Amino acid sequence: MNRWLVPVLTLLLTGAALLSILAGTVWLTPGQTWDALLSTAPDLPGLIVREIRLPRIILGTLIGASLGLSGATLQGLLRNPLAEPGLLGVTSGASLGAVVAIYFGFASSFGLATPLFALTGGFVTAGIALLLARSGGTLALILTGVAISSITMALVMLALNLAPNPYAAYEIMTWLMGSLSDRSWDHVMLALPFVLPGLVILLLTARALDALTLGEVQAESLGVPVTRIRLMALAGTALSVGAATSIAGSIGFVGLMAPHLVRPLVGHQPGRVLLPAMLAGALLVTLADVATRTLIFGGAPLNIGVFTSLIGTPFFLWLILHVRRRTA
Amino acid sequence: MRLAALLAGLVLTALPMPVGSADVPHLPKRPMRVMSMNQCADQLVLALLPPERIASVTWLSRDPDGSLMAREAMRVGINHGLSEEVVRQKPDLVVAGSFTTAATRVLLRRMGYPMIEVDHAESFEDIRRITRQVAQAVGEEAKGEALIARMDRQLADLARNAGPRLRVAAWDGAGFNASEGSLYNAVLEAAGADNVANRPPATSYGRPDVEVLLATAPTLLVKGAGLGRKPGLRDNVERHPLVRRYWDGARTLTIRQATYQCGTPMVGDAAIALRAELRAAAARVKTPLPFASARDL
Amino acid sequence: MSDLILDHIVVRRGGRAILDDLSLHFPAGRLTAVVGPNGAGKSTMLDVAAGLLAPDAGAVRLGETPLPAIGRKVLARRRAYLPQRAGVEWPVNVERVVALGLTSSLPAFGALPDALLPAVEDALAACDLLALRHRSATALSGGELARAMLARAIVGDPELLIVDEPTAGLDPRHAMDAMRRLRTRADAGRTVILAIHDLDLALNHADGIVAIREGRLLAEGPVLDVVTEDLLCTLYDVRVRILRDADGVAVRFLDDRRPG
Repeated sequence: MNRWLVPVLTLLLTGAALLSILAGTVWLTPGQTWDALLSTAPDLPGLIVREIRLPRIILGTLIGASLGLSGATLQGLLRNPLAEPGLLGVTSGASLGAVVAIYFGFASSFGLATPLFALTGGFVTAGIALLLARSGGTLALILTGVAISSITMALVMLALNLAPNPYAAYEIMTWLMGSLSDRSWDHVMLALPFVLPGLVILLLTARALDALTLGEVQAESLGVPVTRIRLMALAGTALSVGAATSIAGSIGFVGLMAPHLVRPLVGHQPGRVLLPAMLAGALLVTLADVATRTLIFGGAPLNIGVFTSLIGTPFFLWLILHVRRRTA
Repeated sequence: MRLAALLAGLVLTALPMPVGSADVPHLPKRPMRVMSMNQCADQLVLALLPPERIASVTWLSRDPDGSLMAREAMRVGINHGLSEEVVRQKPDLVVAGSFTTAATRVLLRRMGYPMIEVDHAESFEDIRRITRQVAQAVGEEAKGEALIARMDRQLADLARNAGPRLRVAAWDGAGFNASEGSLYNAVLEAAGADNVANRPPATSYGRPDVEVLLATAPTLLVKGAGLGRKPGLRDNVERHPLVRRYWDGARTLTIRQATYQCGTPMVGDAAIALRAELRAAAARVKTPLPFASARDL
Repeated sequence: MSDLILDHIVVRRGGRAILDDLSLHFPAGRLTAVVGPNGAGKSTMLDVAAGLLAPDAGAVRLGETPLPAIGRKVLARRRAYLPQRAGVEWPVNVERVVALGLTSSLPAFGALPDALLPAVEDALAACDLLALRHRSATALSGGELARAMLARAIVGDPELLIVDEPTAGLDPRHAMDAMRRLRTRADAGRTVILAIHDLDLALNHADGIVAIREGRLLAEGPVLDVVTEDLLCTLYDVRVRILRDADGVAVRFLDDRRPG
């Protein structure tokens, strides 16, 4: 199983991406898609494939990969199966940054403002969480993260209250539910320089996360610089998830669920969870994105974050109960 | 909101206090201090009554983006929809909207203020009904009928010189589609435009996404401006490169929120103005969209 | 193989000296037991000896080289450290837990290199874990887990092995078993240091004793020379009798306040 896991996940992800390029408001045949990829003509399939669906698939993959990988890293770092990017305040910090950028006019004055503000927000909250929890260890880090998330969400509400735009609250609620609709190559170009280094940094923690299976003291004695690893995990999360949040809003649950999906298949070793969790996250977001475009309930398409939580949570519960029964 | 009203009602009936139909005050025949607590009712009150008979209208009505009667609104007092203001301004008739907080309405009725409630208009028929309702309440039936007759004449004129229908995609300041059954859509149709976002493949009550725009290839994008040009998320997402490439400039028409927001007889004027704007914009469009089928411009 | 030398070590925490000018010598090829009452500073001393805690004053040398000069990865290969209640936080199997002892020798990515597989096999065999190698470490009994952790510590064949309370919570058979395995390491020429509360085990298995009280050295030397009733009485504030017979040495603590 182990040896096949990564190839199988890659294959599934490719399949989901293919489905995603065909499905949508306008359904395309594989032939049309192929022609559209090869041509540069501004006809309907060409524009849809090249300018709408390709960037959307790439964004979905990047965002899902960020969420899955950083969830797996944080769970390994904190040795807590409930850890996820949102827990450390990265998501809410990024949301705060984005809200400030969007509603106080920075976003319209220069294009990079939203992702930069969101990244800064993510970094600041993650940094504060780390600083406050420096002496306390893992539990303190988690509790501080929860506290900072709450404060940051309150600040988001405050920013919305003060926003000059009367539709801010409605818009931001939609945005916070996550969406990949109408994203373009511009967004890919904004996300890539942050997401890719973030993913690399996170992947580099693999060996250290394995050692942390034995606890921080033993890991330290095995030559693992635990403090630096903690910094890397947070910086990688802030970079990748911060950028992802700034582009697509907050897509909950993927960061929590993706590692759990693959963990039993790699013998629970935290370092080995990373790569499959990254692929699983990308797969989940890509599939959820296809679903939001094709399953329409009562005229309104679901937001992607709503979908991941709504469909994901029962499955997740089943998974937990199932795994517990099997190992107990 | 209905639930809140129901709950408030239950609480009130449980109180040992004289509440009931016996205490509903009689509406005055010719109220002299009318207070409107709803942005749309404001415009009706302003159109029907001279300033000296108006105690106040909402502060929103002074914004020309949102109100067709902003100039008239500057000459009367304002309120913010608070019951405390009612107590202070001592109106002899309160005009509340169905969106006025249920709790406020229940409270005002309990305090014995004469009040009428005005629905939100979603069609020209709604406009006639509501105009008659308010006109009767303020004792200006003749004036109300005159306003309605004027609107009907304008709509009939528009229908007579229909001309070719324009294909547009229209949404409002919050990013909601001008959907079937909304006043926005009724005004668009009267002005001679068909909203392609109301038919498949579009599915949403929201602004149609770029795929829908490509598939339907509307001649113009009609955007409600919202209240002023406040920065918002739609600046971010509406700026898809394809929208910029194919619709920016001549193919985009931004219209005042006042055009479609409130159901008053003055939308006749708004529809005439909108038709002129639509025709002028369509005349500026020179080349067809490359992905549209040949029949469309 | 090299001795471990602690030279005038001082560790302060909140103004209080946890270790107060402590100088110790742990010779190679010896099993040295560190004894003392709770709070004497045994664990702190082991942390300093392992290079995990920098002392406020003094130096630690492995052979001739001060610990900070050795480098994190090299030190991790030359020295192994097992804290109290060492455990595993994910249900990883025993084989992989043991292989974690080789972390500092591994490349950043990929599976365990083939060249390191024999070391894992040897460690599993040395600790009687071959039959348990695919068992999840969180499903082991206390004795089995202790063996797995010891195998994890010795898999890289470190010249210095530091163990904090390896027998705590183990039944007599498993406790003696653990001591025997540490003994084997010392006999192979490695420096082995352990902190321990069970004096019977310490006296019967260790070569040397280090007695610490309130961060100061009370006595240091070969077990038979150093351990007297007077020393233990001072060390623990309890009356002590040492019983020797053909089977070995036993320590009996006498409760003065016991009625009757």
